[in-house]
Amino acid sequence: MSIWIANGLSQDLPPGVVMAGAWRGAELAIWRSASGRLSAWGDRCPHRGMRLSHGFVRGETLSCIYHGWVYGSDGGCRKIPAHPAMVPPATIKAEVYQCVEAGGVIWVAPAAVESDAPDLAGLTPVRSVTLRADRGALARVLAGAVAEGDLWRVPALGAVLALQDRAEGLGLHALCHDAAQRVAVSRWLDGVLRLAEEGALA
Amino acid sequence: MIAAAVLNEWYPVAMAAMVGPWPGRATTLLGHDINVFSEGDKIIVRGAGGDLAVTLAYGHVWACPGTPAHDLFPVPEAAQPGRRLVDCGAVRVKCSPLRAVENFLDIAHFPFVHTDVLGAEPHTEVGRYEVQIREDSDEVWATKVHFYQPQAAKSAAGGIVTEYMYRVAASTSAVLYKTCPNNPDEWDVIGIFVQPLTEELCEVWPWMALFDDTTPQADLIQFQQMIFLQDRSILENQIPRLLPLDPGKEIPTQADLTSIAYRRWLKRKGLTYGAQMVAA
Repeated sequence: MSIWIANGLSQDLPPGVVMAGAWRGAELAIWRSASGRLSAWGDRCPHRGMRLSHGFVRGETLSCIYHGWVYGSDGGCRKIPAHPAMVPPATIKAEVYQCVEAGGVIWVAPAAVESDAPDLAGLTPVRSVTLRADRGALARVLAGAVAEGDLWRVPALGAVLALQDRAEGLGLHALCHDAAQRVAVSRWLDGVLRLAEEGALA
Repeated sequence: MIAAAVLNEWYPVAMAAMVGPWPGRATTLLGHDINVFSEGDKIIVRGAGGDLAVTLAYGHVWACPGTPAHDLFPVPEAAQPGRRLVDCGAVRVKCSPLRAVENFLDIAHFPFVHTDVLGAEPHTEVGRYEVQIREDSDEVWATKVHFYQPQAAKSAAGGIVTEYMYRVAASTSAVLYKTCPNNPDEWDVIGIFVQPLTEELCEVWPWMALFDDTTPQADLIQFQQMIFLQDRSILENQIPRLLPLDPGKEIPTQADLTSIAYRRWLKRKGLTYGAQMVAA
């Protein structure tokens, strides 16, 4: 089972934007700088515990929305607005994860891991959805799916789903083999979402 | 098991003007259901174990679930002629009551959370101020706090440097004194009285004693509510929800001297309802 967890599709995180993510139980802030650099951090400003995913991106830095503490892409605190003349000590640092893009998918792993993210090159990203359902229920509507850890291949649909456990439910990041199938896969996801809303996947 | 020190404190449980006959206001205090209701001229706070000690002050009903360790803190300005006393109603916040108080004591967030109202970039610097735990009153005080504000109060016409004093008057109540735009010799007084429903849920009752004869009541209340709704978006997104009292879990700076003293004071007095004692 891969240590890398899919956290969304590249197309859904433009430059200058921060979003909430998750690596297994850990909540994350994932952001893309103005120049396109991706970062994934623990979703907590070391100062007062505020979620960094509520912060804002300026250039190559992410600022906490509470007191405006500025963090560089290495996670180190660059500036504390309450003390503009002070150089923040190096010990003030966000909890940094590895974050890479491959095949149009944003992948996250803990900092110490030495392995490559799954390679889904050649597939076309479709979209991400979050379901109020568990894997067992998903398996029931995905007859014939082949699960390799968090990667589910669905031959009947010509699709690959990268699964992600999130606090709000089960994240499905969908890709397809044939770009012409994008609309069909997207419609199929709508159907699964509807089933989940109706409680059929509970 | 709730510590006796916690049970013997006073907590706000209702706005006095809103209390009606039984069942009155059905609410929660320290995790226990209570009813706040009127009976003739009296206001009664009733829990499963009987009636609680009650006191009326500053537009609110205060209750003590244990044996009151002391009288409710004084706010002499409440009786000062010429002041308008404004009850603002409650804002329910999914956070520790202690986090709500700590946020009220904080100025460095003004430019980022109350942008263009209580603060604005690039005026972000928090200068040195003084903090003490006053032994006579057993309160935390911060004085000589100065901050640039674009619109310090509903009655302020433009940007001014506001001077503040902050006072932790009880474990879940704080009062601030700030430059009064209409009366340079006096301070505007704003309190927050926080009702701990549970360790991770509270109701915040802002209260004001102002020199302002002109601003309509509805505007004053709306201004205060706007400020608190902005604060709520922070308070409900701090991790953990409880206030960490052990050093090391969060990193304060010189601008946080009031918060440092507040945490130390809570720990010393054993007022740890809503606090996280062991670093998780």
